[in-house]
Amino acid sequence: MAGRILEAGLHLLDRQLIDKDGRLAGKVDDLELEIPAGGGPPVVTAILAGPGALSRRIGGRAGAWLEAVANRLRDGDERRPARVSFGVVKRIESAVDLSVGKAELETNRLEAWTRDHVIGHLPGAGDAPE
Amino acid sequence: MRLSDLLGAEVVDDAGRSAGHVHDVRLVQDGPLVGSFGASLRLDGLIVGRRSIGARLGYERRKMRGPLLVKLVTGWLYHDGRYVQWDRVRSVEEDRILISGSAEELPVPGPSS
Repeated sequence: MAGRILEAGLHLLDRQLIDKDGRLAGKVDDLELEIPAGGGPPVVTAILAGPGALSRRIGGRAGAWLEAVANRLRDGDERRPARVSFGVVKRIESAVDLSVGKAELETNRLEAWTRDHVIGHLPGAGDAPE
Repeated sequence: MRLSDLLGAEVVDDAGRSAGHVHDVRLVQDGPLVGSFGASLRLDGLIVGRRSIGARLGYERRKMRGPLLVKLVTGWLYHDGRYVQWDRVRSVEEDRILISGSAEELPVPGPSS
């Protein structure tokens, strides 16, 4: 084995995601694994983050409730957790550094939804500085 | 497949004997190239055992460093950790993973990075 060895639970789960500008962009709640096109063992293709991913790890009624809330906050009929392609991961240390900005990530959906549907409707919200 | 499909699942051998539950999943960075990360993380195998708290702290790996007293206590509690190379996995079902061969032949997990 020549490559770096990591244990998914110990070295990746619950680690903080940091975007290219140093801003917090969610946490690693689960990983997506797929068998490569040419066959062979599965490889990690994406980080799954947010309540939609965490709900499966929690399980039971609390997990089902969390998943229902996450689905409600999602646009359209798509029922899947926020996905961060492993292609934008730059480095895995005590945190996971990404090569893109937070606004480009699906993990930003909840914040964007709250801004558009809640904060944006408050009196005076249009006067707030960027 | 998701990592959460594997973590916690019971590992069962050809004879129907349980090897314990999946405590962690070992990844090796030598898969196909992916974006800015370089080689992707390939699933190498499963760390299984009958107990869980020490495994989440990393004390199941024999060469893990740590406070001596904690290491001795957890080493005694979690001496039954075993490693299942991924090529032994025959199928992944809900909460259960079937492997080929005997659960008694499984090696202990080697050190990670």
